[in-house]
Amino acid sequence: MAIYETVFILDSLMQIKEIDAAVERFSEILKSHNCKIRKEERMGKRRLAYEIQKKQYGFYGSIEFEGNGDVITELEKEYNFNDKVLRYLTYRYDKSKLKVLEKAKDETTVKEEKPVVKEVPEPVEDVIEKPVEEEVKTAETEEKSEE
Amino acid sequence: MLKVRRKRVCQFCEKNVEYIDFKDDRQLIRFITEQGKIIPRHTSGTCAKHQRQLARAVKRARQLALIPFVTDFTR
Repeated sequence: MAIYETVFILDSLMQIKEIDAAVERFSEILKSHNCKIRKEERMGKRRLAYEIQKKQYGFYGSIEFEGNGDVITELEKEYNFNDKVLRYLTYRYDKSKLKVLEKAKDETTVKEEKPVVKEVPEPVEDVIEKPVEEEVKTAETEEKSEE
Repeated sequence: MLKVRRKRVCQFCEKNVEYIDFKDDRQLIRFITEQGKIIPRHTSGTCAKHQRQLARAVKRARQLALIPFVTDFTR
């Protein structure tokens, strides 16, 4: 399983609902092929550096996913079938990008771990345990009384 | 006569850049000429490792219309 990113340019004249539907369709294709979607990004409308199909503006979006390489042919079929897609580019993350991702991951995990360690002092556990025992006893006694 | 040339340092190495993202077109524009050509290593001072990444990024950005393939160069 490798990590890929697919970037697409949609017609900027589409309404927001249509754009949402198109992006959802792309992600559904990925999901149906057992892909894990890591990130969905919308870069928004921006001017194209050169005209594509006589259009000056385009809506940029991207999906980052993890999966097998055979999904890409299916995804690109959809891109070619859809007239609203002006351009697309799917690429696999290379070594250097993966390194950057790992570093970012490490930093976030370190940040998350630190406060958790501080928040669990020993007396808290005792306080939690005691009422549980009492509840069990009362439950048992209640059952006996019912019998 | 030997010209004393100041040694250029790779700008990506200075900033500790590990990955050059093609979506960041403002950064890429600094490494292409007016016509849209990639500036060679001996002029920009980029190291081999980063020049390879840069070339790939520029080519991807061109495909997605973030950077022009060519621009008219009129004198």
